[in-house]
Amino acid sequence: MSLDDRVILETLEKLGKKVCDQILRGEPPRLEIPARTLANIVWDPGRRMLKLGSRRIRRDFLDMGEAKKFMQTMLMLSLIVRARREGDYPTIRDLYYAGKHTIEYVDERGRRRREETWESQRESDSVIQDIEVATGLLREHMGILHDTKGKIVGRIRVRSGGDVIDCSRMGDGAYSVPPNPDSLEVLEVDAEYVLVIEKDAIFNRLNKERFWEKNRCILITGKGQPDRSTRRMVRRLWEEFELPVYVLTDADPYGFYIYSVYRSGSISLGYESERLATPGARFLGLTVTDIYEYKIPRNFIIKARDRDLKRAKELMSYPWFRESREWMRQLKLFLERKEKVEIEALSGHGFKFLTRRYIPEKISARGWIE
Amino acid sequence: MREKYSQLSPSEFFYRNREVAGFSNPVRAVYQTVRELVENALDATEMYGLLPEVDIEVEVEEDNPSRIHVCVEDNGVGISPLEVPNVFGRVFYGSKYVLRQTRGVFGLGVKMAVLYAQLTTGQPVRVVTSTRKSRFIYEFEVMIDIERNMPVVRNLRVWGNDKAWHGTRVELVIRGNWYQARRRVEEYVRRTAMITPYATIRFRGPGSSLTFERSSTKLPRAPLIGKPHPKGVDVEMLRRMIESCDEETKLADFLSNNFDGVGPVTSRRFCEWAGFDSEVRVHELTVEELELLAARMQAYDGWRRPKPLTLSPLGEELLKRGVRSVLKPEFVTAVTRSPSSYAGHPFIVEVALAYGGDIPPSGEPLLFRFANRIPLLYDEGVDVAKKVVRRINWSVYKVKFPAPLAIVAHICSTKVPFKGVGKEAVADVPEVEKELESGLRVCARRLRRHLSRVERMMKLKRWEVTVMRYLDEVVDALSYVTGSDEKILRARMLELVRSRLSRRARVRA
Repeated sequence: MSLDDRVILETLEKLGKKVCDQILRGEPPRLEIPARTLANIVWDPGRRMLKLGSRRIRRDFLDMGEAKKFMQTMLMLSLIVRARREGDYPTIRDLYYAGKHTIEYVDERGRRRREETWESQRESDSVIQDIEVATGLLREHMGILHDTKGKIVGRIRVRSGGDVIDCSRMGDGAYSVPPNPDSLEVLEVDAEYVLVIEKDAIFNRLNKERFWEKNRCILITGKGQPDRSTRRMVRRLWEEFELPVYVLTDADPYGFYIYSVYRSGSISLGYESERLATPGARFLGLTVTDIYEYKIPRNFIIKARDRDLKRAKELMSYPWFRESREWMRQLKLFLERKEKVEIEALSGHGFKFLTRRYIPEKISARGWIE
Repeated sequence: MREKYSQLSPSEFFYRNREVAGFSNPVRAVYQTVRELVENALDATEMYGLLPEVDIEVEVEEDNPSRIHVCVEDNGVGISPLEVPNVFGRVFYGSKYVLRQTRGVFGLGVKMAVLYAQLTTGQPVRVVTSTRKSRFIYEFEVMIDIERNMPVVRNLRVWGNDKAWHGTRVELVIRGNWYQARRRVEEYVRRTAMITPYATIRFRGPGSSLTFERSSTKLPRAPLIGKPHPKGVDVEMLRRMIESCDEETKLADFLSNNFDGVGPVTSRRFCEWAGFDSEVRVHELTVEELELLAARMQAYDGWRRPKPLTLSPLGEELLKRGVRSVLKPEFVTAVTRSPSSYAGHPFIVEVALAYGGDIPPSGEPLLFRFANRIPLLYDEGVDVAKKVVRRINWSVYKVKFPAPLAIVAHICSTKVPFKGVGKEAVADVPEVEKELESGLRVCARRLRRHLSRVERMMKLKRWEVTVMRYLDEVVDALSYVTGSDEKILRARMLELVRSRLSRRARVRA
């Protein structure tokens, strides 16, 4: 899956060359890139994922309002090209620092002024995304690293940087998903499904119980809102090894949205769904109906707050929720009862209730939502 | 009672009504004294084609700070020694009692100052003067015999005039409050300099010193002496004019000989319209007939408009110079309107507008008012110019307050329509108001043009600064990524920027 470094470098250089040629021809330098605006994120019902629409923006260096962003894009391009040429793997924060410097100038009223090439990492991150959509390359391909929080454990063996890692031999710990999961060579998978767990604490509990061994599965957590590499890892297991993917979260709108990010992609990184989304991911629980069907003790039920209700209404407006009757039923019920629970609430029926009854029962009874 | 008032001499009358002439309090008295002396100094120079040099000195007595010495010296035509006692010591005496634009009307002001000095410190006015080509310089000390309205010469010295000096130096000792008057006096000097850019004015006083060198050697055309306009007549005026006529003078000739713009034809046409026999001898008209005549003359619409030759506007160029040298603005424009008239009195309105530069930004336009080249400092709130300035919606002209905006309004007339007796505010006569507004709007439109030009240039400059600021970064990055020659890339980029700059500047010029 890993793209050839040479191809990547050429693709990046081509972007610079295009601009360069414009200048040499005496044309105003400009970039045309797909718009990353919310309005240009569209739901593709056929492929069941969020994608970038067809809208493109033109970034014109000679336009006063866009000149700085243009400069930042070119600066970032040169930093990434340098890293590729020299075989470095900077993080997005490294890139922020590498490109940050002060420009001194005299303004239109003759005052001496100073300006930073970028004020915050948000600005430098934003142009990385622009380069991603402009070239069609993901940052992972360009050798850009970022913080990762994903963990994986279970019946899978991988090779990474020359080392073979057996994820069933991690003791009470787990293997940390590397920034670019495409660099992993998966040697062996001996599992029937993948269980994605929202919360790290539940992941640890299941690992401690060696749930993956007893149930022949792979456990993954993204510790809340998943990062790109965790999502990519899940996608690879689903796509390349045809493993069913089940997602386990709290029964509240935030948990539901985390599931939808695994399945359909996120709004802010819509352009990456192509590689990161797992359209076949199934939502195992906890559902709103679980609260009542599993008779969660009243004192474990939490009253929903206003922002939970607001979030639920937002979810109901997203097409990828709207097209599922079951999801609409769940969300309506949530708005009606105004109650939510955490996964831990199942412990009201004993600590082993989750692993011994809830998960196996749900899977065998096909009680998930898609 | 009646008996007593009829015996009041003019000096006594003004002495009792000194607030009328601006001597109402110790602060105002200082300002008024300086003003009267400076105005006489300017009249004594510019009316005779001399470029004014005016030196103003104020001193405060150390052991008695309320005694103030005011001394003003000019390089004017001087005063004949025979006239000095009457000019300074007799009320209703002077050369100004004719019809033309002058600063004062009755030559009264300086006598009020002399009276005020005499009243408060008992000191005579000291006058040093020499006329042009005179071989002598005369120094007088004059007081006024208030009851008899007669000058009393206390001292007279004469010496040789080796250096061909001519001019007048007048010194008064008055009681007043310098420290409160100081800012007014300074402001008065500043504004006088603004309206007389062809004058060099120096001022020295305790703790302050101002010098305004002349910024032009061109004098405005001096006003001609004119005849009164028939619309502006009253019974008393008619009576006095008739007195100075020949016994045999007939009405038609009287009108065509003595009034502005009236010829034999107009004169006869008027008599017919008014129901007067054009052949009647004017000396035979009764008071009742005179009253009717005056009323008919005021009502008649067939008169020609008054001729403005009696007026002496500063002119757009001089006005701009004056404003520029005192306010040091970034932009200045001025308009001298064509002559107009109200009630038979010709007038000309001049408006200047200055913006930016050293003008301090303020919540409303700074207003500088002048009447016949006299700065008006008091009662701004009730002046017609203030009314007009307030009425203008400045945002239409791209002015956003606080703004560094100053407006100069100058009214020249043989009879400025002052409001009240203080002569510090012009009344809202519709004709004057209309001229002021038109003039101001012309200036304001020019300001708008200037401001949008500046705005466009600023925008273009801002664009250039922005693109140039990032140009090197972009060139460095691209030349690293593509291996293209940095110098060529930069040159091409600069070409792009330059061609767009010149295209935009052309489009907008």
